[in-house]
Amino acid sequence: MNLRLKTSQRLWTIAFLALPLSVYVIVVIGPLLASAYLSLTDYTFSAIASPEFAGLKNYERLVNSKKIHTAFQNTVAWMMAALVFPTGGGLFLALMLHERIRFANFFKSMFYMPITISLVVIAQAWSWIYKPDWGLLNTLGVSLGIIDREVFWLSERGLALASIIFAWCWQQVGLSMVIFLAGLTSLPKDLLEAAQIDGANYRQSLVKVVIPLLLPSSVVVIALAIINSLRSFDLVWALNRGQGESATLAVEMYEETYFSLNAGYGSAISIALFALAAIIIAIYFSRIRYLEHLYD
Amino acid sequence: MNRKFLFVFAALMALGALAVPGSAQDEVNISHYFSGELNQDNLNTIMSGFTEATGIAVIDSPIGHEDFKTGILAGVAAGVLPDVFSYWAGARVQFVVDAGALQPIDELWDAAGLDDVVPAGVADAATIYNGSRYFIPFNIHYAAFFYNPKVWAEASIDVPDTWDGLLEAFAAFEAQGIDPIALGSQFRWPGQFWFDYLLLRTAGPDYRAALMAGDASYEDAEVVRAMEMWKELIDAGYFVDGANAYDWVDAADQVANGDAAVTLMGTWIGGYWKGQDLVPGEDYDFFDFPEIDMVPQAGVGPIDGWVMTTTANAESAGALLEYLINDVDTQTLWNTSYGSLSPNVNVDPMVYDVVAAKAGASIANAAVYAFNYDLATTPPVAECGLDMFSAFMDDSSDIAGTLATTQACAVEGFAQ
Repeated sequence: MNLRLKTSQRLWTIAFLALPLSVYVIVVIGPLLASAYLSLTDYTFSAIASPEFAGLKNYERLVNSKKIHTAFQNTVAWMMAALVFPTGGGLFLALMLHERIRFANFFKSMFYMPITISLVVIAQAWSWIYKPDWGLLNTLGVSLGIIDREVFWLSERGLALASIIFAWCWQQVGLSMVIFLAGLTSLPKDLLEAAQIDGANYRQSLVKVVIPLLLPSSVVVIALAIINSLRSFDLVWALNRGQGESATLAVEMYEETYFSLNAGYGSAISIALFALAAIIIAIYFSRIRYLEHLYD
Repeated sequence: MNRKFLFVFAALMALGALAVPGSAQDEVNISHYFSGELNQDNLNTIMSGFTEATGIAVIDSPIGHEDFKTGILAGVAAGVLPDVFSYWAGARVQFVVDAGALQPIDELWDAAGLDDVVPAGVADAATIYNGSRYFIPFNIHYAAFFYNPKVWAEASIDVPDTWDGLLEAFAAFEAQGIDPIALGSQFRWPGQFWFDYLLLRTAGPDYRAALMAGDASYEDAEVVRAMEMWKELIDAGYFVDGANAYDWVDAADQVANGDAAVTLMGTWIGGYWKGQDLVPGEDYDFFDFPEIDMVPQAGVGPIDGWVMTTTANAESAGALLEYLINDVDTQTLWNTSYGSLSPNVNVDPMVYDVVAAKAGASIANAAVYAFNYDLATTPPVAECGLDMFSAFMDDSSDIAGTLATTQACAVEGFAQ
């Protein structure tokens, strides 16, 4: 009787897992394995020729490519910016709005709103802001006497990437703010009260109590910021398609695969990007385990 | 029973995700790049007219012009394509024909008597690939220097008909504080017309055809010379600053507003300007790229059209293709609103505005009609060149290095 019940449970488990697992295998594991295989071939994304095994040729090309070096640097720069600006900005906003200030809910909604908007829409809005001839930024800059000529925010080398990252940070800061706000709401009040009784001022409470207790939220915010930065494609593509040496690894992967039709090489870039993300995720999980251990 | 039911249920649920709907006989799935400012409204009218005339429904999935280029190639590789899609005559159609993605339309062509509808020159250049017909032409465009006549009149500068005259005009505009050349190369392709015309006017159509086919090198003296001439214009400050920050519509606006003197663009710019209520001949006009060397004078431009995929229902998809080229009202509406010329000889020449009619005369007078760069060479090689044109507008200091990179890229591209 007992055994029959277990078999039945197992069958139900299999039945209910079959669909999501099948979908997961089809849309995640399958393409990942296919990409790994294609990265070792000379497949040209053409229906004419079938992929021929090319060993590590694509990876060798990747390591020696100047464009990939630039894209890697851009991706790392994006990741570093993601660590600083959305995280720091989100923490600052959360601390401000957690206090009992007037219209706090209104400001929370306003700061969170960008995260609910599609990146393509955000790209359109920022492309108007960055437009050289009639964009908001140049118009303001000229009228205030800050600049005396058009600045090409999205096409000048060095400036293009910074402009795109700024637009991205503007969107992401709301997400960090909400996570930090959730962390602040769940802080144990007795610890804060104890700090106050011990004579700690606001800065001391913040540095010694609040921020350390926000560590779990910080791990989530930082991990999300890093993972989202590694996926940075849509905003670059919609804003300037990698002009001004602003292409990231994801953009290079897309261009090589779908424009130059080098699917083998494009797959190698995607696998390299996956490896980079996997390392970050591994660090993230080890950090989570460490924190769980710490709080136990 | 329970176990069997559960396994069958699980299998059906898993396979359900893979189900692909098929095309019915009374409908045609189409995709195209005629979106937004590229005349989408009139195409919708045309498709409605087709459904009304035949009872065949058109399931329309337009894609943005730039995304279409990758979308179709991805569809070819995956074997998932609409029944009918718009495409550009030349190397791009050749590429998908070679991939085995298209259905020949010889029978349709003969049955509809299209030899009497499409001029032989257009039919030979645009419709035949590997010995069979695959392509239905829909419109013909022509690339030239577009300008605002009022701006030129106000600046008291005559429209030039020689290369030296053009350079003098540029210098005169520069002296008056007007940017001589608007270029919106944000999406790379608008820069190609400069390369095309400079190469065609100096090295001639035969050399250019050899380069497009991979029988010549980007490091040849002919290409170097064309690039040096382009560089001279850049160094003289004739192009608007930050060309890569603008798209072709921005460049069109700069010319229309009098901020720039000319833009080297295709006749579809007329369709855009008409949509802005500008009057052909009064608010905008064009002149041909002048002769530089004594070589056959070529005209450059794309021929847009439609192709039918191997999975399409030949009857319904064929009916649509025939309608698109054969129906005179359709051809008239499309080409008069798009600033292009009809490949259908039955369209009354009087329907064209003065600028379109002039473009027709320029094409007729050209010794050769050449497809523009990214339609004249294979898609992978076109990427090499388009990258080069865009990078060149950013930094034109190292022509030899730029061309060596492009040649290496082209060799790899042709190997595909």
